[in-house]
Amino acid sequence: MTTAPVEIREPEIGEETTADRPWMVIVWNDPVNLMSYVVFVFQKLFGYSRKKATKLMRQVHDEGRAVVSDGPREKCEADVARLHAHGLWATMEHDA
Amino acid sequence: MSPRWKRFRRGSGDTLVVSLAPQEIELLEQLPSQLREVFDAPPSDPAASRLFPRAYLDPTEEEAEAEYEALVQPDLLRERLDALELVTASFDRATTAGEWREIELTPDDVSAWLGVLNDLRLVLGTRLGVTEEPRDIRDDAPDFMAHTVYDWLTHLQGELVEQLLG
Repeated sequence: MTTAPVEIREPEIGEETTADRPWMVIVWNDPVNLMSYVVFVFQKLFGYSRKKATKLMRQVHDEGRAVVSDGPREKCEADVARLHAHGLWATMEHDA
Repeated sequence: MSPRWKRFRRGSGDTLVVSLAPQEIELLEQLPSQLREVFDAPPSDPAASRLFPRAYLDPTEEEAEAEYEALVQPDLLRERLDALELVTASFDRATTAGEWREIELTPDDVSAWLGVLNDLRLVLGTRLGVTEEPRDIRDDAPDFMAHTVYDWLTHLQGELVEQLLG
């Protein structure tokens, strides 16, 4: 894990390799979700340790967003759905 | 106002017991209808789009987004309705313990409570335009009660999460 800001890459339309590139799941900061709740959700959904879940929560809070998981499209869509089910603001985008 | 014991404590087996004042249960009983309203609201409603956000921001992924909204969001809605049903059913099991009302919650009930409390806060917080800055709401402000309810829900959910994190 890194606490360095994540570089946001603009998608390149028509790029041939786009479909093959892995996806990443982003959780965005929001003013309502409790910090403790976000830690709880990261641990529950991804099996992360308290330490890792707390670090990701802090990254979301301090930097506005954090990558919480990655992989193929189907896996990331499932992760986004679980995060949405728990009220977190999550989206997915291509890995840079 | 607050009980000296914790609001959420371990019950028998894997259950949790929540202790609430009678008027707190009355308040909680009124709130699920606000969630149902949001479930029926169009996606343009800010609270509805907060509960059911987009999966893709990239405009070139509109097709995938439409598929997500058509295939996944109905499941998410069903889960939320199921959770709401578990929570409202649990109110009917409240027993009296002195000045307090107690409800024994199974692990499924606990997940439902956690989700419903969070959804209620997302809806109220969106409606009230809550930010991360501390709020100072005058008691003659028109939405003073809504802010009070929001803060109380925050407190209640916070206690539940603390109990679950151990």
